[in-house]
Amino acid sequence: MKNIKVLDGNHAAAIGAILSKPDVVAAYPITPQTPLVQHFSQYVADGVMDSTIVEPESEHSAMSVLTGASLAGARTFTATSSQGLALMYEPYFRASTMRLPIVMNIVNREMISPQSVWGGPQDSLTVRDAGWIQIYVEDNQEILDMTIQAFKIAENNDVLLPINICYDGFYLSHMTEGVEVPLQEEVNAFLPPYKPTHVKLDPETPMAVDPLTPGNYLQYYRELHMAAMDNAKRVIKEVNDEFAKKFGRDYFGLVEPYRMEDAEYVLVTLGSLTGSARIAVDLAREKGVKCGLIKIRSLRPFPVDEVNEFLKNAKAIGVIDRNVSFGWHTGIVYQEIKSAISSLDPIPTVPFIGGLGGEDLTTNLMVEALDSVIKAGENKQLENRAHWLINRKGR
Amino acid sequence: MSIAEKMASYEDMVGPGITACLGCNVELSMRTALQILGPNTIVAVPPGCMGGVQSVGWADKTGMKIPVFFPLLDNTASMLTGIKKYYERIGRDVNAVAFAGDGASLDAGFQALSGAAERGDNIIYICYDNEGYMNTGFQRSSSTSLGSWTSTTPVGTKSHGKTSHKKDMPLIMAAHGIPYMATASPAYMPDLIKKIEKAKNVKNGLAYIHIYNSCATGWGYESEKSIDIVRKGVQSRFMPIYEFENGKYKLNIDVKNPISLKDYLYSMKKYKHVSEEQIAQLQEYVDEKWDNLKKLCDTSE
Repeated sequence: MKNIKVLDGNHAAAIGAILSKPDVVAAYPITPQTPLVQHFSQYVADGVMDSTIVEPESEHSAMSVLTGASLAGARTFTATSSQGLALMYEPYFRASTMRLPIVMNIVNREMISPQSVWGGPQDSLTVRDAGWIQIYVEDNQEILDMTIQAFKIAENNDVLLPINICYDGFYLSHMTEGVEVPLQEEVNAFLPPYKPTHVKLDPETPMAVDPLTPGNYLQYYRELHMAAMDNAKRVIKEVNDEFAKKFGRDYFGLVEPYRMEDAEYVLVTLGSLTGSARIAVDLAREKGVKCGLIKIRSLRPFPVDEVNEFLKNAKAIGVIDRNVSFGWHTGIVYQEIKSAISSLDPIPTVPFIGGLGGEDLTTNLMVEALDSVIKAGENKQLENRAHWLINRKGR
Repeated sequence: MSIAEKMASYEDMVGPGITACLGCNVELSMRTALQILGPNTIVAVPPGCMGGVQSVGWADKTGMKIPVFFPLLDNTASMLTGIKKYYERIGRDVNAVAFAGDGASLDAGFQALSGAAERGDNIIYICYDNEGYMNTGFQRSSSTSLGSWTSTTPVGTKSHGKTSHKKDMPLIMAAHGIPYMATASPAYMPDLIKKIEKAKNVKNGLAYIHIYNSCATGWGYESEKSIDIVRKGVQSRFMPIYEFENGKYKLNIDVKNPISLKDYLYSMKKYKHVSEEQIAQLQEYVDEKWDNLKKLCDTSE
């Protein structure tokens, strides 16, 4: 019998983390991640959770505690949002360059100013080059499943990198859905305990971590780090396939295609907004237009080959960004897609920006976007300035 | 067994060939502390002099015989917390130790240190206080004292060194209610050694040792006077040597007849410009701190 529970995204993440048995958890509360920290505290108070929990005085220290614990050999978990991630930036960058397989869920929230606590992946997308693996998910089931998979990906000996499972604040963090919760024994069989082999601070085997390092060595480190990112592409797929086989839920690894068999007009999405984009694709298909979408799940490493494979026959592409790249007139995912397909003949690609600060990206807006993509394809119109997807009545 | 015999029986945990300045008494303090703490120790050396002398290492060579790492300037205490928590979890008693400068402790690293102290994390935090960012050429820190020249509080026609007093870190750390806090000086080695031993035996929270260390290069005095300078610091009551243990304050070196503060200040370049007015301000600060400390110690008895 399936074990289905009604869970919000934060609760699903907390359960995913607990099932993965982290040794040390350190997390500082920040909206919209706060309920996740509360769940941990309650689970520890109730004796359900057998992790060492540290209540740090800031996100900077949360990541630092986990850096230390991971260096000592612990499996570690935390979560944050927005300004918390920004405060964490210094140890955040360093966790990846020390190759520590820390798992951190990011409950995506806009960066201030103006003051905002609502959703938007501006926080995590801004740090996409800090060396972490970043997976963006669509619903609460995927949050729980990917939190478990995250440990297995990060701790793989060919990877050894920290990883973010990113999910939209409020849309997922505070929305409840039916979520199937795996049994502890099933997770145990899927995820063996973490045994560090590459770096460990232990008086029995003295080691210096991070002596002053000249450029020739540092470049070698960066080369290895980039190779690990390449390996992660394979490992993310392998872990996905193993998970699908054991638990029956397949997320397709790096990119999830939807109705892409013969698609000519393609939307590219990230995160929870994929849901309304799927409906827009269905509506267009009903009218006989060959539409599809691809959901980018792994932003780092970026699935360049898969994206090319999916988009090579497209007549036009639309990229929906819930974020901005200041200094470009587009969002960030648009740039990633354009770079990825730069070796293809130019395909009209329309950048869209919408849903900032928790604004709703409704099905109507997605239909509007898809109409623009079809028009751009018919006119062979190349564009590089974002169309804003805005609910007119609210402004 | 004499102190010398005892110390000779302990192995040196610092590798040969590290590159401290001539007459550096911080290196002496670090070697001594780590000798007492012994091989069952993981040590964090954040950016600062002792990181700069390559105690952590250079390229693929390490400067220590024990596990060592560079934390960030501002997260030494929290990284050690993470290490210690894991070892406690797996049931191993390991010393998690910081050897950090005043910049990494009183300024950038203060929040993390205060957090670890408040939570009762069982780490040993040793701060070497040479009153500034010495590794990068002596910039001011919140531990730099009033009137001191530094490269960021220079002396010119309109400015006369640092304009505010030194942050009273030992008292602030004691106010956290940690199980053990002590100040120490390499001019009083038996006292320093005893305090590291006490810190090593603390099992119920954070132990903080504040070592007053001078810096020949930054402070501007001949390197052979390194120990004399810190002794004068103590004997002028500028660097009070005391401890806070189980909620009680105890003066370890009672300076009944202090030497003149002016003598101490004028024995080095960083104060050579200070005016009579600044000396009077410093004297007032020293007297007030000393009186307060005496009261704390008296009421503790």
